[in-house]
Amino acid sequence: MKSLLRQHRYAMTVTLRRLLAQPISSLANLLVIALALALPLLGASLLISVEPVAKQVSVTPELTVFLKTDAASSAAEKLARRIRDEHPEQIVKVRVISKQSALEDLRANPAWEQALKVLPVNPLPDAIVVELAPGDDLAKRADQLANVLRKWPSVDLVQLDSAWVQRLEALLRFGRIGLLLLALSVMLVVLATVFNTVRMQALSQREEIGVARLVGATESFVRRPFLYLGALTCTFAALISLGIARLTLTPLNDALASLARTYDAEFALTLPTPPVLTACVVLVAVLGALSARWSVQRNTRF
Amino acid sequence: MIEFQHVFKSYGQGRNILADISFRVAAGEFVYVAGPSGAGKSTLLKLIGGLEASSRGSIQVNGQKLEQLSARARPYLRRSVGVILQDTHLLYDRSVIENVLLPLTVTGLATEVARARARAALEKVGLSAKENVPPIELSGGEQQRLAIARAIVNRPAILIADEPTASLDKDTARRIMSVFKDFNRVGVTTVIASHDDALMADYATRAFKVEPGKFADSAARRPSSAPVQASVSGHIEPRLGGAA
Repeated sequence: MKSLLRQHRYAMTVTLRRLLAQPISSLANLLVIALALALPLLGASLLISVEPVAKQVSVTPELTVFLKTDAASSAAEKLARRIRDEHPEQIVKVRVISKQSALEDLRANPAWEQALKVLPVNPLPDAIVVELAPGDDLAKRADQLANVLRKWPSVDLVQLDSAWVQRLEALLRFGRIGLLLLALSVMLVVLATVFNTVRMQALSQREEIGVARLVGATESFVRRPFLYLGALTCTFAALISLGIARLTLTPLNDALASLARTYDAEFALTLPTPPVLTACVVLVAVLGALSARWSVQRNTRF
Repeated sequence: MIEFQHVFKSYGQGRNILADISFRVAAGEFVYVAGPSGAGKSTLLKLIGGLEASSRGSIQVNGQKLEQLSARARPYLRRSVGVILQDTHLLYDRSVIENVLLPLTVTGLATEVARARARAALEKVGLSAKENVPPIELSGGEQQRLAIARAIVNRPAILIADEPTASLDKDTARRIMSVFKDFNRVGVTTVIASHDDALMADYATRAFKVEPGKFADSAARRPSSAPVQASVSGHIEPRLGGAA
């Protein structure tokens, strides 16, 4: 066991010596991998920051039917009943919001309180919120129902409340797939860079490998420093990429904060959580070691 | 102990470099392999060291049949056979002692023990004063001695050397051969390939003559000097001498 540990220590020493022997080349490799890794990291930051915004807003498919302001006070209840009766299979729930309760809700908001006081009458209409049954072609069904309701008397406006949330969801889905493809591309870049680095190292260490074999080195002994080279290069690169992502997010967040303040909101891009980042670093290190193993197996057959 | 039984060696579909070679070298013998360039001397040594595999026949080294040895087990055999090739294959980016330490590092020996053994090996070959010097600063003879130190530091049972005195002057060559003889005296089986029959005759107790398609063993003529049975084909080179 001690002997194995000593061999690993030797492999690590050899690896660091080889890295330091060519500082410019090593640094260039690290930067290439780090920049490549920073791209999906920034993409992930954007996604995980936007996703909560989408989740906060209900994605329940809803239609809001606004009645004409001069409609009778009983019209809303009648219309709600008619919707339930005529489209029972398409709806889950129908809720009436009277103009009075809408006004009270607005008055509860201090920003509106003063403005509403100067109005002589309640300008708000009665409204009916129709929750649609989920399922395939929801958007199409919602559109069809909205068109039917628009033609009914007393109806002033039909609004598809969830449309923009659905669009955001679709955008996020697109973003997730895009991020996955980007991550796969970056993985290929990492694999290729490490493979080539190890290939060059193996060729330049040809003599040393030959001598090691001559004096009884096992293939594991010969390959070990190269595996460390792949894993260490990727670990350092992953850590540098975290630094790059953090540095990039700082000015972006400053700009976003200014924008969000104009909407009386707060929004900032954040990196994934530390456990996720740790898992990413480990994954990249393993990927580097695997690529190095593949390369060293192919390039030390002499 | 080294034993060859009807060993053939060829590369690809080409002619046999070695054909139907059989011999047995007992533990502690000092054998030299003579023959013209391209006759297969180096190949013979590489077969003993497990650096190459035979095309046919059976080779036994230290009680292990090489043809039955797995690729995983081969490095462990190499640790029991010290090899000095024609080109010394030293690592010029490392110091003298680091070169000698390599075979010990490969086995995972503790650093302090390894350093002590490497220093002892360097002392045996007279390079103690130069342990921190890079090999490029050594003379040809010193580089050869360094290669010997690296080959013997693992205390191998067998030492094989390919033309270790080829590029050395007469005095240096004799000093190198004395080093080999010293190891042989303590029981290390020694097999050396050389062109220099006169020099080898002063140290070796037995000779193999390798010529294209032929192999001869002096022990067949002088069984008293080498108590082994050996197959013989072609002519025999009975140039034998006592120990120096």
